[in-house]
Amino acid sequence: MRIKTIAIAAALLLGTGLPTIVQAQNPKTIAGGFDVGPGGFPKNFNPLVATGGFTWLSTYFEPLVIWNAGLTELEGDLAKNYTMSSDQLTYTFNLVKESWHDGKPFTSKDVKFTIELAKNKASGSLLAARLGDVASVETPDDSTVIVKLSKPNGSFLSILSQVLILPEHALAGMSPESLATSTWWSTSPVGTGPFKFKKYVTDQYVELAADDDYRGGKPKVDVLINRYFENPAAAVAALRAGEIQFTYVEPDDAASFKTDTSFKVIEGGSYVVNYIGLNQKVDLFKDLRVRQAIMYAIDRNAIIESLYGGAAKPANCGYVAPQLVPEGLEAYAYDPAKAKALLTEAGWDKINGDKPITLLTYYGSPQAANVMAAIQSMLAQVGINVVPRVVDTPTYNGTVYKEGTPDWNAFPMVYAGLQNGPNPAGINPGLNKSQLPPAGFNTMRIEFDDLSAAFDKALGETDASKLDAAWQDVCKVMNKDLPWATLWVANRYGVASNKLKDFVWTPAPGGGPYAAHPETWDIQ
Amino acid sequence: MTVAAIEPPAIQRTKGPLRRALDRFIENRAARAGLFIVIPVLMAVMTYHWWWPYAPNAIDLKAMNKGPSASHWLGSDGVGRDVFARLLQGGRISLLVAVCSVAISIVIGFLVGAIASFGGRVVDATAMRFVDLAMTLPPVIFLLVLASIAGTGIAPTILVISLLSWPVLSRMVRARLLELRERDFVVAARGMGAGLPHLLFRHGLPNCIDILVVYATLQIANAILLEAGLSFLGLGIAPPEASWGNMLNLARSTVVLEQYPWQWMFPGAALVLTVLAINFIGDGLRDAFDPRSDLN
Amino acid sequence: MLSFIARRCATGLLMLVALSLLIFVLLRLAPGDPIDAYINPSVPMSASDLETLRDRLGLDQPLPLQYFGWLRAALSGDFGYSIQRSGVQVLPLVMERIGPTALLMGLGLAIAIVVGIAAGIYSAVRRNAWPDIAMSVLSFIGISSPAFLTALLGLYFFSVLLRWAPSGGMQTAGAPFSISDVLAHLILPACLLSIGHAALIMRYMRASLLEVLNQDYVRTARAKGVREFWVIIKHATRNALLPVITLIGSTVGIAIGGAIFLESVFNWPGMGLLLVNAVGTRDYPVIMGATLVIGVCVILVNILTDVAYAFVDPRIQVA
Repeated sequence: MRIKTIAIAAALLLGTGLPTIVQAQNPKTIAGGFDVGPGGFPKNFNPLVATGGFTWLSTYFEPLVIWNAGLTELEGDLAKNYTMSSDQLTYTFNLVKESWHDGKPFTSKDVKFTIELAKNKASGSLLAARLGDVASVETPDDSTVIVKLSKPNGSFLSILSQVLILPEHALAGMSPESLATSTWWSTSPVGTGPFKFKKYVTDQYVELAADDDYRGGKPKVDVLINRYFENPAAAVAALRAGEIQFTYVEPDDAASFKTDTSFKVIEGGSYVVNYIGLNQKVDLFKDLRVRQAIMYAIDRNAIIESLYGGAAKPANCGYVAPQLVPEGLEAYAYDPAKAKALLTEAGWDKINGDKPITLLTYYGSPQAANVMAAIQSMLAQVGINVVPRVVDTPTYNGTVYKEGTPDWNAFPMVYAGLQNGPNPAGINPGLNKSQLPPAGFNTMRIEFDDLSAAFDKALGETDASKLDAAWQDVCKVMNKDLPWATLWVANRYGVASNKLKDFVWTPAPGGGPYAAHPETWDIQ
Repeated sequence: MTVAAIEPPAIQRTKGPLRRALDRFIENRAARAGLFIVIPVLMAVMTYHWWWPYAPNAIDLKAMNKGPSASHWLGSDGVGRDVFARLLQGGRISLLVAVCSVAISIVIGFLVGAIASFGGRVVDATAMRFVDLAMTLPPVIFLLVLASIAGTGIAPTILVISLLSWPVLSRMVRARLLELRERDFVVAARGMGAGLPHLLFRHGLPNCIDILVVYATLQIANAILLEAGLSFLGLGIAPPEASWGNMLNLARSTVVLEQYPWQWMFPGAALVLTVLAINFIGDGLRDAFDPRSDLN
Repeated sequence: MLSFIARRCATGLLMLVALSLLIFVLLRLAPGDPIDAYINPSVPMSASDLETLRDRLGLDQPLPLQYFGWLRAALSGDFGYSIQRSGVQVLPLVMERIGPTALLMGLGLAIAIVVGIAAGIYSAVRRNAWPDIAMSVLSFIGISSPAFLTALLGLYFFSVLLRWAPSGGMQTAGAPFSISDVLAHLILPACLLSIGHAALIMRYMRASLLEVLNQDYVRTARAKGVREFWVIIKHATRNALLPVITLIGSTVGIAIGGAIFLESVFNWPGMGLLLVNAVGTRDYPVIMGATLVIGVCVILVNILTDVAYAFVDPRIQVA
């Protein structure tokens, strides 16, 4: 104890005795909390195993094709342009001229290497199943890649946007198995993006430096920093203390920044539809009238107005995008009397009465707690006694995702969300009967034949002009059958300091990637 | 020791030790102040549903984040729930958790300590290594792992806190009873073939009662703090159920911290005040039971 | 003395093995595994991919096999890889965190010890005068306040409002490493950490000194005409320190835990934060590694406390 005290005292003296190091020339630096919030995936550096964090990863790695910043359509990134054959089986990509950060040229061989690596389960790649339709990757010359599919896949380009291209020359020497535990990712990764990796200070921040010969022009700032925060509140403190210039924020915080002239609030759709999942293995919820009653009992507009500040769209099926929502949907306007009548009809008093029903969620934010409280209170008014239970993500997944026959009563109702865009196929795994665990994501065990048929039809639709109509059918069936009590699609927020110029950010699911063009970001 | 009776009562020699301890306790100004705080808090927390118009979980989306007023004395929170009602309900939960967990840990702590001291060498050594093991882990870390296993909610939180707090007590009990074991009346009782239960409850318990009372009081204060800390880490009582800990957790958000101070200041004040008062009482009890305190 | 230390170390080692088994079993009882922590419930992914991951991590092997595999590797110094951070080995990761935690705890406790002992002596000497009462009340409030609340308020006032200190982390992101930079980040959390401990130490010091001041040898010293200042410093304080040392020893164990709140509010990259994160992501190897390292620290501190105790109080024989 004493020795430690002395040592620390010595360190203190030494520390105060040293003059503060003032840098002669401050490099232009943008620091942000790029992995804060639901789209982030802090401390992961391997894009093959990423379920999020693409906003940051795509500042130094790049995909072939990328969503535009509005997430409305895909555009070329490392592919200058691309063509699709009429049978939708062959994709041809013409590559841009670019060099890796270590100076080696970027070629079609890198693309082939990356797609094959991502398809290989041994590398731990989470893209393997989604790339299962890829039959072959050919490289006729250095700047052309031809990908052949075994069957048409409308989502293929969207999937490809998350395949960040990796350098063959740096990784080919390692076995796919050892790549997963390699330190290369966090010590010396080499990409093609506007910034190159400089260093990672474990669990604190990642520092990138400008890549001067980037094809989009030399980046306007010299250094880009991604700081890790334990929670959005800590990031907000750093933002307000002027230590970072950007972070994701919770909606409540966004409201307080709106009145502050030194910050700009960036708002965008979350592309995540929130719903109350009703476990179909629980007898209570097999009755359509009960599901309808839940829809009528929840005053979604009031919740959106007061708890989301109006920044959410009520969802009457899995979608809210105008082109996917058909005319003539039942709006399930707030009507507690009707809800009560439906429950009486279904004999709620006899089948459950006021026995408590668990409402499980993995959403731990203060706002989610308020939403749960509101839902609990509204359902209580019509005689449904739900008890919200907030657990962390692993507990949630461990509960709902269990194989075989888990304890259904551990999750009779869940408050959850699922990605519904930009690719509308996103919600298929959660609703199609072919996606029951363990093969898929359908944790509520929904086995509705008409719904699954509608999904299968939309997924198999090869005629682009009929695609929207097919998804509208899915929406119609969802609205009628109510596999979920759909709630809303909320907006999410980022706050940027007014010092930032030409800064692009959008709350894309999983962080994108989307064309943020970090090379044009500037700071005053 | 610290705030002991200023002058010993003149007639103390005619009184029994318990009575004298009680006198010393009453003499103690801080302890009295503690009682004056704790008793009204307890009353309010236990009876509020009879006299306060708002329910802790009743939302009002038209009256969100309103400051203190005549109808909502302590304002309302982010879904328009009455902060005063939640404060009282939170107090009920926090105190319930604290009292139950302390009760459980006293039973475990006493039994382990007493059995170790009366049970013979092997039992003693095994039990004490067990206690050592439980004490090797820093409390909050043990708590963290336990809580993530047991989950959130009232029962798991009680379990976690009680599992954490018994080892210290069992050491104190063992130390006291090891001394007792060699005394004549215990040796005599054993000689006459008294069983373990007899030894534990006829001789062990009465001779440990002061340790248990003092420990219980101080540990209740600790348990309230632990519950708050657990809820802060998202492991204790999960919202929408109210507890002082998860109400305080709202202060994490700068908006609440700055613009809606009534949402965290009142629960914070209630928590600090209650813990303070219980600490005063606990200290008073310790001094009162300390035979040396009359000498000071 | 040496044989005493050796014996304590041997028991300590056995205890560590028991500890690792305990944690291992507890972890497997907890709902959700590292793979579950990996799934973002809002982003659909294929279960077959998850199965692949599970196989690769060896999570499908029988439990005893997993434990003994871990133990064998651990005994040879290999604690495996962090599951959530690709390619990061557990042992270096955990060792890296000892420094920051020791720094925060060390400075926090140093402040607490200096302030606590000084205030305790002053309070005892000026017993029942108003500074004593004020300090006693303050120390009671210090003990009764939750650590995370003082941390949150301190962060808000000194970092966000006054901007006197950085809001978190251990060094300025992007700046070259410098001791003054680390100190700037350290001082606020260390001061906040010291509040509770200083309050406790002060109360122990005061009580223990009051008792000592009544002892015969102090009266003798006074009667001999030793100046009051020296009576207190030389004769009384040294003896009054005994219970305080025990307290400080047990505090170190608690401080590792108590620092969790400060580390989590101030993003301080210490053991507490590492563990909170690892528990949140079910990073089994990191949790095992970190608890073991903490266990080693606590056992070492306990042994050191006993040794220190023996040095201060010659009556105590360790054998």
